[in-house]
Amino acid sequence: MKKLENKTKAEVVWIVAVLTILVWAAVSNAAYLHDNSSSIANPVGGNPQGVVINVTGYQWAWTFTYPNGTSSIDNLSLKAGTTYTLVITSKDVIHDLYIPEFGVNVYAVAGHTNQITFTPTKAGTYIFECVEYCGEYHYEMRGTVTVT
Amino acid sequence: MTLGLTFELAVFGSFIALLIVMGFLLYYFAVDYKRNLLGEVSSALPKKESNTVLSRMKRELSFSAFMMDDSKSIGIRYLITSLVLFFIAGLAGIGMRISLWFPVPSFLTPVQYNILLTAHGTLMLYGWATGSILGMAYYLLPSSVKLKNDSFGVVSSIMYWMFLVGSLFIIFSKSTATWYFYYPLVDQLTAIGGGQYSFATLIGVMLILIATTVSSVIFLRMIFFDRDPSIRLSNMSLFAWSVVSTAFLIIASAPVSIIANGFLIYDNINPIFFQAGNGSALGYAIMFWYWGHPLVYVAVIPAFGLIYEMLPRFTGTKIYSYKSGVLSLLMLMILSGTVWGHHLFNSGLGTVWDLIFSTTSFIVAVPSAISVFNWIATMWVGRVKLTVPMMFIINGIIDFIIGGVSGVMLADVGANQLIHGTYAVTSHFHFIFLGLTTGVAFAAIYVLFPTLSGGRNYNVPMAKVHFYLSTIGTIVMSGFWLVGGFAGMPRRVAGYFGIFQTYQDAAAVGGVILGIGFLIFLINFLYSAYKPVETNTSNILEEEVTS
Repeated sequence: MKKLENKTKAEVVWIVAVLTILVWAAVSNAAYLHDNSSSIANPVGGNPQGVVINVTGYQWAWTFTYPNGTSSIDNLSLKAGTTYTLVITSKDVIHDLYIPEFGVNVYAVAGHTNQITFTPTKAGTYIFECVEYCGEYHYEMRGTVTVT
Repeated sequence: MTLGLTFELAVFGSFIALLIVMGFLLYYFAVDYKRNLLGEVSSALPKKESNTVLSRMKRELSFSAFMMDDSKSIGIRYLITSLVLFFIAGLAGIGMRISLWFPVPSFLTPVQYNILLTAHGTLMLYGWATGSILGMAYYLLPSSVKLKNDSFGVVSSIMYWMFLVGSLFIIFSKSTATWYFYYPLVDQLTAIGGGQYSFATLIGVMLILIATTVSSVIFLRMIFFDRDPSIRLSNMSLFAWSVVSTAFLIIASAPVSIIANGFLIYDNINPIFFQAGNGSALGYAIMFWYWGHPLVYVAVIPAFGLIYEMLPRFTGTKIYSYKSGVLSLLMLMILSGTVWGHHLFNSGLGTVWDLIFSTTSFIVAVPSAISVFNWIATMWVGRVKLTVPMMFIINGIIDFIIGGVSGVMLADVGANQLIHGTYAVTSHFHFIFLGLTTGVAFAAIYVLFPTLSGGRNYNVPMAKVHFYLSTIGTIVMSGFWLVGGFAGMPRRVAGYFGIFQTYQDAAAVGGVILGIGFLIFLINFLYSAYKPVETNTSNILEEEVTS
């Protein structure tokens, strides 16, 4: 039967290595939250930065209402370099707006409004989806973001 | 007006009738069976004493267990039931994978897909994970704590029947609300919302939760009060410790979900609890995850305990550190109750709560890491015998590391913004559930096979094929999910953007390989169980208590 050579040394190496990784992860997470608190989902409050777009999810589509009063369904038009704040709510069940390209991932809850701020930088067409299961046509609750 | 006798109702009714007939038949078999096991003298003992004798014996898999209420019989009941539910839920999973071959729903309509989605999730978690754990605990605890008084037969038996009825409710209610049952979707009682009979699933889940909670109390009673005096807490088996940890976790969190489900059912009649319109729809989500997260630890901690029990036997050495094993299991019990908020990072909990829950989620990695290093050190020190159960254990440890590391990634709020609700999450928990929970449960079933089959050996080449197919299937399926998830592939969808087809098709291939693997297990199990008796009925997990 083999012996684990230098038992104490091995244990110290494991403990220090794991704790280093976890502490690094926790600290970098806290630092990210501190610097970017507006780019994660938060309840509506304070002064929203940039252009405010109201988003309403319902079974099974998304409506985007722009500041000039126009609105679009399942298609979001943005301009590169402009900062936007999405104000998101739902008409019925819980939905979740997910735009992978911009790291936007926000619950849409009836009677509760969340907001998130982001700045698209590159022109192009990207996808968005609903990622909180919401009934029969959950999978069709998706569309495209056009950045010009 | 039609009679309203749907096909499903007819099937359900026939099933119940069949169960009643089987019950009468079983009763007569069970009386003989019990007399054969105990002999004329002991079978005349009062029931409590004869139950204690029975639960201290090694026992075969037998349907007579359904008519006997000692702990081992209850364990056998749960093992049989949970295996059946595992194969039903697995079939649902394969159906979903095949249907996702094309971006547009092909094989299944969206509603059918959603029914399978809900059945797969609910049955795997409540039927298979919880059921197999209850089975293992009822079956193994009497020998590992040398139970000196088996006194809760009737209660355990009633709880088992509640568990079975709950599972039937889940199967036949055809809910489409997924296993979250988020309000208000679950109360949209239509085929396109939460399913016409989704309240029946809620009742089913409540029955299973009550059965689980009461069984947990019985386990604690067995361990702390009915343990043989020769077994002190300081040398109790680590499996028993893992049951302690699981039981406390269940008792502390499951009642919240029972209450929340009751609220949901009441809201069908009079919506006052989680009524959408004042934002308390999130209230249900919070109550649900307060139990939902501990539930995934409930599915994992007993697997840890089983690894701790089996690993030393296959490496010919003691566990590297018994104390750190106990420490790890107890830390998991406490810490895993504090992390549930990480499922709701982007629901608008606010930055402070996000920070708290993500930090606790990093901390919960510490006890898991302690256990993993404990196992690695044990294998390092000892000489690994690569039997089939040992292969499952090693693969379980590897899959747990992959799933655990992706779990730590998910705990980061920033990264969570990118992968919440995608297949990265599905991949994370399938690595852990398939590799660790299911893999280790099957390792234990292989270990127990000579005993459960009354002296037969399983066919080793077939078992190895089962191992390789299920492992390769898991890695292909969950691996492609992980990559697709980081590319933005949403989970729980009946159809998807065409750009994700590569990942979905690869995952479908993996899923089918996995399914074939478990089919081979089933064939092996049935084929080997009817071979002539060829070996003794001893196994390394339980020993007959004779004192």
